[in-house]
Amino acid sequence: MKSFVLACVAAIVIASVAGFVLSNVQKPADQAYSTTGVRL
Amino acid sequence: MARFLAQARFIIGALALALVLAVVAPAFAQQPSSVNPTASSVKEEQLLKGLKIISGRGTIPDTKSYNLEQPAGRDWRQFHEVTLRWIGAIAILAMLVILIVFYLVRGQVKLVSGYSGRRIVRFNAFERFVHWMTATCFIILALTGLNITFGKPLLLPLIGEPAFAGWAQWAKYAHNYLSFPFAIGVFCIFLIWIAGNIPNRVDAEWLKRGGGIVGHDHPPAYRFNAGQKMIYWIVVLGGTAVAITGYLLMFPFYVTDIHGMQLAQTVHAIVAVLFVAVMLAHIYIGTIGMEGAFDAMGEGTVDVNWAREHHALWLEQEMARTGPNESQRQPMVTPAE
Repeated sequence: MKSFVLACVAAIVIASVAGFVLSNVQKPADQAYSTTGVRL
Repeated sequence: MARFLAQARFIIGALALALVLAVVAPAFAQQPSSVNPTASSVKEEQLLKGLKIISGRGTIPDTKSYNLEQPAGRDWRQFHEVTLRWIGAIAILAMLVILIVFYLVRGQVKLVSGYSGRRIVRFNAFERFVHWMTATCFIILALTGLNITFGKPLLLPLIGEPAFAGWAQWAKYAHNYLSFPFAIGVFCIFLIWIAGNIPNRVDAEWLKRGGGIVGHDHPPAYRFNAGQKMIYWIVVLGGTAVAITGYLLMFPFYVTDIHGMQLAQTVHAIVAVLFVAVMLAHIYIGTIGMEGAFDAMGEGTVDVNWAREHHALWLEQEMARTGPNESQRQPMVTPAE
C-alpha cells in the first residue's frame, strides 16, 4: 500500500513538473500558428 | 424489267439500312456523350493520388500553411475515424469476452497445497513502486486515450457537449503529462527485470504444459514464467513504441512532417489498443484469476507454497542462496502474521 501511494505521488509530481516545463516550452496553438499580422 | 430490278434493289437497300440503324441506334444512345460531366472530378482524383501534397504560395512565415490539400490525410482520417475504432473495439471486447468465458470455465487457479504460513519476498519496495507508478499511469493513459478514439461516438451523446468538452480537455492534459512518469516507469521496468526475462528452455516447457493456467498442471519456472516474460516484453517494446510515437505527436513538426505524424499516430493507436487488451489479461491473472497472485505486487511477499507451485525453480534458487533452515537463517522468508 505504501509503495502504491508513493507511486501515485511520484506520478503526480513528475507529471506536474512535465506540465510546467511543457507550458514554458510550447505555445498554445493560437500563438504558435499565428504571426503579428494574424488574429485568430 | 431492269427498272423493276433497280427499284427492288433500292427498296431492299433502304430496308437493310433501316434495320442496321434500328439495331445500332440504341447502342449509340448508351455511349457517353462527348462532354463528360464528371471528367474534372476524375482528374482531381488522379491528381490527389499522384501528388503527396498540393501546395500554393503564401506570405506568412509558417510555410505549412501553404499546403492546400494533403491527399494522404483522407486515408488517415478514414483510419482514425473508422478502422481504428473497429480494431480497438474488437481487440478489447474480444479479450474481455475471452477472460469472462475463461473464468466461467476454468475458474480461479487455486493454491492446491494451501497456505503454509511462511512467506517469501517476491518484489521489493522499489520494484513495487515502479510497477504501480507505471500501472496507474497506464490506466489513466488508456482511459484518456480511448476517449480520443471512442469518446465522440460513445460518451458525447451521453453527457452532452459542454461536459464532454471539459472532460476531453483535461483528459488530453492528463494523457500528455502522465506520459512522462509512464515512460520513466517503462525504462525502470526494463532495467530492473531484464535479467529475469531472457527466454530460456524452461519457458518452452512451461508453454508446452499450458503454464498451469489452461490445465491443472504446475510447470516449474524461475522468477518469471513465459507468460510473465511475454508481458514484460510487451510492456517494454509496446511502451517504448507508444512513448516515441506519442512524443512525435506531442511536439508536432519538431522531428517529422505531416506524413510522419500520421504514421506515428497510426502506430501509436494500434499499439495502444492492443496494449490495453493485453493488460486486461495481465490484470485478470494478477487479481481474480489466480489465488495469492496479487500479494506479490500488493504487499511484496507470497506464501512459500504459492512460490513452490508457480515458481519452483525460483524458490529453489532463493533457498540455495539463503540456506536450508529458512525459518531461522533466511531473512527473505518470514512467518505470516
